[in-house]
Amino acid sequence: MSADYHDHDHPSPWGPHDWGHGAPHNSWSPLVMSIGIGIFLMTFGGLFTFSEFDMWYLPLVIVGIAVIGAGLFVWWRQDMSFDGTYEPMSAGVPFKNIQIRKVGMWVFLMSEMMIFSSLFSTYMRYRQGIPRCDTVFNRGLFDPVTNPDGWQDGVAVTCFEPASHLIASSWWHIAPGAINTFALIISSFTIVQALRWAHKPVGSVDEEVRRKRVYRYLGATTILASLFLTLKMIEWFIGFHVPAIDLIGLHEHEIHSLYSEGYLINNDHYQHHDYVDEATGAHMVANIQVSATLFYVTTGTHGLHVLVGIIGLAYLTFKAWTGAYNPQSAVSIEYFGLYWHFVDLVWVLVFPFFYLY
Amino acid sequence: MSKNSAPRKIALVAMLAMAVLVVPTVTSLPGGMGGADIQRAGCTCHGTLPSSSVEASISGLPDSYNVSETYNVTVSFSGGPSTDGNMNLGGFNLWASDGTFATLDDSAQLWEQNTNEVAHTESGNDQRTWFLQWTAPESGVNVDFILHVNSVNGNQGNGGSGGDMWNRADVTVLGFGDPPLPEVDPFKVLATLVVISGVMLSIVVMYIFYRKNPDSFDWENFAPWISEWLTSTDHKKIGTLYFVQGLFFLGVGGIMALMIRMQLAVPGNDFISQDYYNQFFTLHGTTMIFLAAMPLIAGFANWIVPLQIGAPDLAFPRLNAMSFWLQPVAALLIFTGVFSGQGADTGWTGYAPYVVTETTHSGVSMWAAGQLMLVASSTLTGINFLTTMAVMRAPGMGWFQMPLFTWSILVANLMLFLSIPAFGVGLIQVYLDRTIGTAFYDVAAGGDPLLWSHLFWYFGHPEVYVVIVPAFGVISEVIATSARRSIFGYKSMVYAMAGIGLVSFIVYGHHMFTSGMSPTLRFVTMLTTMLVAVPTGIKIFNWLKTMHGGSLVYRTHTLWTLGFLVTFTLGGISGMFFPSMALDVHLHETYFVVAHFHYVLVGGTVFGFFAAIYYWYPKMTGRMLDERLGVLHFLTAFISYNALFWPMHRLGVVGMIRRTHTYYITTDDFNALPEWAADWNMLISISAFLFFASNLIMVYNMIKTLVRGEKAPADPWGGWSFEWMTTSPPPTPSFDPHNLPELKDANEHVANEPGVFGQMFRRLMVEDDTTEGGSH
Repeated sequence: MSADYHDHDHPSPWGPHDWGHGAPHNSWSPLVMSIGIGIFLMTFGGLFTFSEFDMWYLPLVIVGIAVIGAGLFVWWRQDMSFDGTYEPMSAGVPFKNIQIRKVGMWVFLMSEMMIFSSLFSTYMRYRQGIPRCDTVFNRGLFDPVTNPDGWQDGVAVTCFEPASHLIASSWWHIAPGAINTFALIISSFTIVQALRWAHKPVGSVDEEVRRKRVYRYLGATTILASLFLTLKMIEWFIGFHVPAIDLIGLHEHEIHSLYSEGYLINNDHYQHHDYVDEATGAHMVANIQVSATLFYVTTGTHGLHVLVGIIGLAYLTFKAWTGAYNPQSAVSIEYFGLYWHFVDLVWVLVFPFFYLY
Repeated sequence: MSKNSAPRKIALVAMLAMAVLVVPTVTSLPGGMGGADIQRAGCTCHGTLPSSSVEASISGLPDSYNVSETYNVTVSFSGGPSTDGNMNLGGFNLWASDGTFATLDDSAQLWEQNTNEVAHTESGNDQRTWFLQWTAPESGVNVDFILHVNSVNGNQGNGGSGGDMWNRADVTVLGFGDPPLPEVDPFKVLATLVVISGVMLSIVVMYIFYRKNPDSFDWENFAPWISEWLTSTDHKKIGTLYFVQGLFFLGVGGIMALMIRMQLAVPGNDFISQDYYNQFFTLHGTTMIFLAAMPLIAGFANWIVPLQIGAPDLAFPRLNAMSFWLQPVAALLIFTGVFSGQGADTGWTGYAPYVVTETTHSGVSMWAAGQLMLVASSTLTGINFLTTMAVMRAPGMGWFQMPLFTWSILVANLMLFLSIPAFGVGLIQVYLDRTIGTAFYDVAAGGDPLLWSHLFWYFGHPEVYVVIVPAFGVISEVIATSARRSIFGYKSMVYAMAGIGLVSFIVYGHHMFTSGMSPTLRFVTMLTTMLVAVPTGIKIFNWLKTMHGGSLVYRTHTLWTLGFLVTFTLGGISGMFFPSMALDVHLHETYFVVAHFHYVLVGGTVFGFFAAIYYWYPKMTGRMLDERLGVLHFLTAFISYNALFWPMHRLGVVGMIRRTHTYYITTDDFNALPEWAADWNMLISISAFLFFASNLIMVYNMIKTLVRGEKAPADPWGGWSFEWMTTSPPPTPSFDPHNLPELKDANEHVANEPGVFGQMFRRLMVEDDTTEGGSH
């Protein structure tokens, strides 16, 4: 009976695997995680229905996330014992003697590329297809005879308002995004350092030094990734205060978050302080729902990738803390690094398109 | 009718004449007429019998009303003794079984304060027409109206027993059918569903376990057995799970198709309401493509690909389990709406902006969420299979030694993998639009519905090749084995499949010819779509040539393959009508399209699956299927299938529209269908039931042979790829990782046939060698 085969090597599909002899390994994790994802998507649809919020679903959404977390925990518990002795290698040409997991990671990144390509296609479609708000504003105030194409006071115009109009308006506004860019680039460097220390041949480095270096570099990567998300929350929702510094002639002022500036996915009466007709004081209001949607969803998808990265890094850091990484098992850091560099690369594209231009 | 009524009319006219003579002038009751008995006994005010010379009429009422809508109603009469110039002309009483009346002027009044009864007033006595308002009820029930009118000719004051006549008219206004089901909390629906399917499933599972070994029917033996199935990462077990899921949903989708056909059997039918019809065809499409065809492909791929390339398992067994378990949960989400009467009603294409409007059913959100999980599942499957085929081929097996079924899975997964993220992004956009209220497809905010079409069809067109290409692979395997020779033109087969995969990404615009897309793009996709016929034609030619050069053994799977060749070629030819823009505009959204894609998806994909089931079932279960039942299945299914879908071509050409819940025939109206369309539709519906029933033969065959079938040898058909080298069923792991088999001659022709391009180049390069065929 086939169950005996598994029972012999793996007493429990909840527990750690014996990686010494290869696949297959029974696991509850796929079933548990799938159910968790189902609960999450279902209850999230109840939490928000056409932007109406229903508090009662919140505990259920949390249950969904908890179930996903439980499944992930089982998955990692089984992976914790993996020490690289049985790293599956490719048998067939053209990838002979390359680790199978590395090939799988590159294939995965292909699909990630397609995801961001689709998001950028959406962005390009709307960026090209909808007139920019400042173009509309420059047409001037509506007049039935002289300027029939102009805008009217208090009547919403549908136009494209790039987030960069707010963000790139001053160095202070752009600061969180700029710091984030450097945070991600530095984090790509730190994870390579972690890999480098894990890779050093046995005997060339003290094992305790290796353990410390690897987990500290991984921890630094985690912290930089968390910094990224924190600054993003400040930029989106919180804003910050700039103190007065007389030395450089800086006045005390407040940097508003995008939220408090009204840059929101449901704002069809957006007002920007630039869009005022000086002669009459008339104010152009804009329906910016599409622009805000594109900004939040595209950068949000990238932010979600960073969040997934943080979760992965937490596992890697913990495993490094136990001293599990050595030249034999260092490739795991390399595979995660591939993903992490990809997330970094995407940001390098997202930043100019959504923050600067 | 006219015969009988003639003498009655004469009598009535005589009575009328007498009445006019006897009582020359009377007035209608000045205070209005009414009372509790009026509906049953008629107007007792003047005389007891109604007079047919008075015609009561009521206008302004709809055939069927909308909830709480207010209608302007006009009540009038003609005929009878009333004549112009009289002081008093007549009166009326209108009673309704439901709803409320309101008066517009002082010519009418609510009778005794009943809101459902209205009559004339004294000042309304001088007219023959009254204007009222009626507000429909909320309940949705049918409403009966009873109208009494009284025609008088007098201005002589109250009362009188003659000289006036009355009549009555009955009108029934239909409700909107059954009252709409209340929206149900999705969580309750999910919980109920989980409980019901859980109970049903556990009963079935326990029965299977009981049948395995009736003596050890206890928890100690059951728990490890069931947890083995729920946690397994073995490619064969997961393949079986996919298979069970796929066949189950093939049945579910089939039942939905039967409901649709019952509705369409006769014109003007109202068996299924429009609302439910929309849900049925939406879920029929979604179920058949995503929950039946795709899992069946994944099932075969899981089972056969590692065996064919000599790999112990897939590259990522746990991800493989994840791919599978996402699917049943996704299926639950997709079906959530159905059980609350709020299922997705957007069509499987889910066109924007309808898909994001609030008037759609709430089930659309869950439909998008479920498909999102299926996208995740397909992505994981893609990673797994692409990696497996790239890195885990047995020593000695190069790319061009891979069996054609494995090649087809490679091409299909590559197409799927590169296209499905676009669909996933589109679904995320729809899901977010429907939940947190983003504005991707909000037209008022500048959203572009065509963007959804682009994202969807960029995925959707490769998707239809994803479900047909594995069938190509199956047919190649089966036809080579049955013809007892290697496949003709192996390399050209591979190139043809790769070509289909390549072209599939640049043809999708033909789905949007009538959407207002740029004419340049339309022209380009017109040409590229026609290009698809080239590699497909090469494949058909190679299959025919394989049979020509071999000697065919007629097994059940061979019959299905031959059936595939016929139906798929027909479907391919009808497909060539659509790239032509001029024809497409005419045929778009008609049953011609339905006929075409069912010819390629059922006649192509499903026939290919049937061939595969008959071909690999002995390998999977170790039991031979019953060949006699198999032939019976093929004959009944093939005939009923063609009777089912062939007439749809003709119906489409004469203009029968798809996606509408009924149709009308007429002899004179230019816009409706000719009378014979009803007969064809009836034939189609009957054939649909026969086709469904004939497939039950296969299910019976599978169950019967599983319980008590003949034991299968390792290689029952004389195949020579790797999967026939292991036992039936294969052990776990399928091959010993430390002692992999070595490829000798899985495709012997590679060694001695130069291949199409090789021959061509040889002829070009060496002029004096043209008389010699291939090298030796």
